[in-house]
Amino acid sequence: MKRKISSILLNLVLLGLGLITVYPFIWMFLSSFKKNKEIMALHQTLLPQKFIFTNYVTMNSRFNFLRFFANSLFITLAVTVIVIYTSTLCGFVLSKYKFKGRDLLFGFVLSTMMIPWCVTIIPKYSMIQAFGWMDSYAALIIPAMFSGFGIFMMKQHIASIPDEILEAARIDGANEFYIFHRIVFPLAKNGISSIAIFQFLWAWEDYLWPYLVINTQEKQLLSVGLKMFNGQYSTDYGALFAATTISIIPVLLIYLFFQKRFIAGIAASAVKG
Amino acid sequence: MFKKSHPLQSRSEILLRNIVVLIMVVFFTVFLIVPIGIAFAGSFHEWNPLSGTYRFLGIENYLNVFTSQLFGKSMVNTLIFSVVVIVFRVGLGLGIAYAIYSALIKHKSFYRAIYYMPVVTPMVAVAFVWKFMYNPQIGIINQVLGTDINWLKNPQTALLAVMVMTIWKDFGYAVVMYMAGLYSLPGDVMEAAQVDGAKSWQKFLYITLPLLKPMSLFVIITSIISYIQAYVQILIMTEGGPGTATYLASYIIYDEAFVKYNFGYASALSFVLFVITAVFTWLSFRVSGSEG
Repeated sequence: MKRKISSILLNLVLLGLGLITVYPFIWMFLSSFKKNKEIMALHQTLLPQKFIFTNYVTMNSRFNFLRFFANSLFITLAVTVIVIYTSTLCGFVLSKYKFKGRDLLFGFVLSTMMIPWCVTIIPKYSMIQAFGWMDSYAALIIPAMFSGFGIFMMKQHIASIPDEILEAARIDGANEFYIFHRIVFPLAKNGISSIAIFQFLWAWEDYLWPYLVINTQEKQLLSVGLKMFNGQYSTDYGALFAATTISIIPVLLIYLFFQKRFIAGIAASAVKG
Repeated sequence: MFKKSHPLQSRSEILLRNIVVLIMVVFFTVFLIVPIGIAFAGSFHEWNPLSGTYRFLGIENYLNVFTSQLFGKSMVNTLIFSVVVIVFRVGLGLGIAYAIYSALIKHKSFYRAIYYMPVVTPMVAVAFVWKFMYNPQIGIINQVLGTDINWLKNPQTALLAVMVMTIWKDFGYAVVMYMAGLYSLPGDVMEAAQVDGAKSWQKFLYITLPLLKPMSLFVIITSIISYIQAYVQILIMTEGGPGTATYLASYIIYDEAFVKYNFGYASALSFVLFVITAVFTWLSFRVSGSEG
């Protein structure tokens, strides 16, 4: 009996904390269907008294928000796919091949994660100008093709694939390119899921870099667009809520879809690391 | 390129290894080592891309960093911000993870998924959501608390407001990390403690907590590194204001580099921050090492 009561109490505490955690999302989402008048009203209700969809229309007609959305989606997907591939490849070589300088190289990759963004961003900005990549998507994709974090994660995951599997394939005459693409890649799914979610989020939320290197508004990405939109229409709260909702929902959906495998992957690498 | 150290290596293995290592070295040289070198050299110059200035100054930029009142204030802010957020992140993370881990809770993955949600949402967007929540006219916070405070415009509450938002966004990460830590604990040790008749809080304090030390260290170090670099929430919610109440160290760098275009001074600031990060990381290793 005592056990049952403490179980209920603990569940209530956790539910309460969970409600606080998700409440900002619910509030933002529901407010995006309210009229500006209702958002500003003294007496507020969580649910809109009248559901309207015009915020989503004005957001787009005034600011071409879907264009930013499409740009962000393209860049984010491109960077994520490339980083998954390069991280898995580098992780495979660093964990399964023995060669001189391997630990040094891996130590170096690890140390890249400690370097603050501010140390390299100014020179990178100057380099992009020198390369003539300003205002092009090369500036967003090429400097992001390898990730220290991704390589670290994949090295940890691939290390747990038994060497016997790879040796067996080698004896059967498979070359290393086949082994990597057909054996290692499918076996590294948990690690890949965690990189997919993190890299997708980082590329999606990155603000400063696209703000610096992209000048044409039609090419700009969503987080920069969101800030511009807030600057220009700072009192059209309904449309602001709609724009913010649009910039959060895709990431949340991806997370909820992959979350089981993803959390397993993240946690495993930290325990081993 | 590399000496053959394994007699059974095939040609395709050597080829793949050489290609991968070469590309990695080239990439990190071009986009990391060279930029660090340029930034280091630039930190000793007056460097402004708008006026085209690049003039040698010696250590003047560094002297300016250490005598700047704004930088001093921002370091105090960053220290308060990091300590408070890390304490709550670790405290909430550990407490909630332990609660979910206990046999009293059934739907473990449900809670884990809920608490992790803010971690995987874009900072720019959630900073806007919270900015609206703190808004004195439309915001939910004043309505719920029954207060009439302009949270982000009041020097006494602005930093607090940003810290609360950051704790909300980040504590779920610690929950998931501590849960992973708890599930990887050796089961026989926990069972032995049960048999010895240890009370549950004794078990937590003297057995579980010390065993979780590597995870605590991991969470604290990654937190230090990321909070010294935090600026997006400041940029969106307060722009350092009111006055200098919410200037964080990384926000000054953003401001000096890309609002005022003082690249040289911003580079000097960056290196100072880099050294501070390294020192704190080293210190956390030392402190945890000497205890255990």
